[in-house]
Amino acid sequence: CFKLSQWAGRAPAAPRHRLQQVMAVFEALPAWQRNLEQDGFSKNPFFHGIVAEVSDQHRTKDGHTKIGYALYFYSYSSWAGRAIYMEDLYVMPEFRGKGIGKALMSKVAQLGLAAGCNQLDFTVLDWNKSSLDFYLSQGCFDITATVGYHCMRCKGEALEHLAQP
Amino acid sequence: MFTFFCTSFCCPGISCCAIFRKNDDIHLHMCPFGNFSCVRLELQRDGFCQNPFFECLVAEIPEELKSKEGFTVVGYALYFYTYSTWKGRSLYLEDLYVMPEFRGNGIGKGLLCKVAEVFKQCVRLQLSVLNWNTPSRDFYAAKGGQDLTVSEGWHFVRFDGQNLDNLANDAPKI
Repeated sequence: CFKLSQWAGRAPAAPRHRLQQVMAVFEALPAWQRNLEQDGFSKNPFFHGIVAEVSDQHRTKDGHTKIGYALYFYSYSSWAGRAIYMEDLYVMPEFRGKGIGKALMSKVAQLGLAAGCNQLDFTVLDWNKSSLDFYLSQGCFDITATVGYHCMRCKGEALEHLAQP
Repeated sequence: MFTFFCTSFCCPGISCCAIFRKNDDIHLHMCPFGNFSCVRLELQRDGFCQNPFFECLVAEIPEELKSKEGFTVVGYALYFYTYSTWKGRSLYLEDLYVMPEFRGNGIGKGLLCKVAEVFKQCVRLQLSVLNWNTPSRDFYAAKGGQDLTVSEGWHFVRFDGQNLDNLANDAPKI
């Protein structure tokens, strides 16, 4: 049994911290914490979030009741108009398989439709077969596989060089 | 040297017109994917409301170089802010378009540079490109773009239409 609430006030550090512990072996930990609150809670936030909480009796061994979240922002397509992009969808491992991830994603979809969005987009790694199978079973389609879109990124020195006239 | 200048999206009518020209041009070359069409009023509404969904730079040329149809706005870049909980503020370049007869003159590069320059507070610039669009892929690679689908395996996934409605209908009440 869980409830969802919109991310307001302080950032839910608990779920993200757990994710950082898992991902630390693959990436340097980002200096996200000092910027996350500023970027998410200003007058025009860069992102929005939904948190999944369980009751106190179901809290984790470490005492966390916030056990999952979805982070999203609005995007745009000159073909289709307003869209929503789901940047993160996370549920602590011990709480998976209970419909929490699906509920979070559905809530993002509902909020997106209410805001006039026509698409919900996100990315998934091709080796993450269980996630890909889950999303496909929910009715999405893989644009990269079917249409051929590739994700491109420019950062660091390349971005600085690009910005030179 | 081809003279052009980039300005912010200041005149909704002219700029939306440029976007519609892109849609018509690209539709001839792409398999139609979906029956969506973003009508002019939606573009104007969404780009000029209090919290716009996107921003746009347009490339204009002098009157004496205008196209056969009389256009001086010959290209544009449409982008919006995104976010990464790993890296912070980012920018997504949704459209980069130059009318075919004005390509090869550095306008696309100029627009791309302007986008990167104007929003230096962002840590990265992201976009997508079709795998068969070799000229564009080469263009971005030459500018330092990394293909994350090839190098890391990232795939774009989408819910739309009835599938999006079905997903939303399953949402619990908050």
